[in-house]
Amino acid sequence: MHELLLFASVPAHQHHELLQQLAGLTAMQPRHRLERRLVFKAYRKPGLVTTRVGASQDVQGADLQRLNKMLNGGMYYTQVVGPVTKADFGATSLSAMSASHDADVSMSGTDQSSYCYENQPWKLEFRDIPEAGTRSAVTTRLMASASLPKGDIAVPMNAWGYSFVTEYMVEGDVFVQNDIVIFLHRVLLYPQAESQDLHGPRRQLPAYHELTPLERTGSYVLQAAITVQDGSNQEMMKTASQHLFGLREQLKSAVRLEQADRLSLDTRAK
Amino acid sequence: MSSLTPDQIKTLEQSRQRLVQLTHSLASLITSLNQSDPLPSWTSLQSQATIISNNLLTISDHLSDNRDLLATLVAYPSPSYPSRNPANTVALEQLLRTKLDPRVEDWVARGRKAAGAAGNGNGLDDLGALAELWDWAPVEANQEARRRNWGGNFTLEEREQGVGNVVTGLRRVLEDDDDDSESEEGESGEEEGEGEPDEMEIVGVRRKSGVGQGLEFDIAPVSATAASGPGHAGQQKVVAPVVPLDEILRFMTVGIMPSQR
Repeated sequence: MHELLLFASVPAHQHHELLQQLAGLTAMQPRHRLERRLVFKAYRKPGLVTTRVGASQDVQGADLQRLNKMLNGGMYYTQVVGPVTKADFGATSLSAMSASHDADVSMSGTDQSSYCYENQPWKLEFRDIPEAGTRSAVTTRLMASASLPKGDIAVPMNAWGYSFVTEYMVEGDVFVQNDIVIFLHRVLLYPQAESQDLHGPRRQLPAYHELTPLERTGSYVLQAAITVQDGSNQEMMKTASQHLFGLREQLKSAVRLEQADRLSLDTRAK
Repeated sequence: MSSLTPDQIKTLEQSRQRLVQLTHSLASLITSLNQSDPLPSWTSLQSQATIISNNLLTISDHLSDNRDLLATLVAYPSPSYPSRNPANTVALEQLLRTKLDPRVEDWVARGRKAAGAAGNGNGLDDLGALAELWDWAPVEANQEARRRNWGGNFTLEEREQGVGNVVTGLRRVLEDDDDDSESEEGESGEEEGEGEPDEMEIVGVRRKSGVGQGLEFDIAPVSATAASGPGHAGQQKVVAPVVPLDEILRFMTVGIMPSQR
């Protein structure tokens, strides 16, 4: 699958206004989203990798070959993403689960008042470095996502040849307009002063208010994305970027959506 | 990968020419600083600085106008390129770099830092100063206005120097009379009728200026708060992002903290 992206930086003071504008534009209420993101880095030639990540049977033909090449040929940073809710923060980790389950589907494994690392669902998100030399002014990259087993993800990731680099929280709101997914988000960092060893993901989450934004003025990043199943279909890719340009025009007076710097999205591990 | 259209080549050629101009003017400034003894006069330095800043402006305009094209261009050598020649190889290596030259990277870092400092400190200071100015200006303008005797076609200085000498640029003749100003201003003229024009006029003018002041004073605090309100709020709220988008994306991708680069 391919992903076409445009980005914009949104100053903190404009955030609320932009939320309103996007709600109006997309005719939907924002879906708030909180995600734990873990960054993993391949640390050895994954020639040793025997397990193919995720359900790659679903990906067919040329894409399958490319994906295999991606996964076995080079070394890449990948992300593991887990959805959380605000209720998970600052809660003590109780391994004993009470009977009452959160109604939220994605959080069905979590107790209402506690964060249970063992039941945290995860998703692997592989992103290639954006394609070079495309004439259109959108960021295009190969992508693949796959569900991962719940719970402690560091062990299986290590087994696949990935070491844990860092983790952070992404907080934001999602809108959908036709085929465009608009994600207005910012990065939150965990409080530093913790004796916990930083060689693995946290088992407990700190209180929400202890998280600090990476960008200390609290600015947001606006990301507009279209996912294209068949990236080799030029016609489809062209239509998708036309749609993105359409959105860029519509939002022109509010924010300036642009292509991202290719090297800043470089996922290759050197 | 399609080849370039003539228009795009023209754009590239233009950027090259402008950069050449810039390097020329920079070089001439440097040589004039190095070679002339005593130093060149400040007027010539200033004119050279103006030229350079104009050059920079045109370049930055040009670059931002053609951002879409220039950001997506990729250089690659064609097989016919004479890469055997060592001089050519150097140029080739420069063209094919994906990262900036270390020296250039230092410059960029320094520039970013300076821009960040300016955006941070001075920008806020400027906002503060601006708010202060807005607080100060209505009151001060009002006081200044109160000192004047409003009405009439001519200023005091003009009257002292002789009304005939004033170039008004008008066809009709302006009279230095109070009737005129009164009838023009309507409101006071009608009310005061045709008593003693001089006295009445003066009273009218005074009252008028009084009214003006009253109005102004009613407005002034309001406008002052209005001006300062958003100003102060803006001071707290309008803060440009400190970390560039690229750095945020880089952190999200590979976990390198923005400051560590």
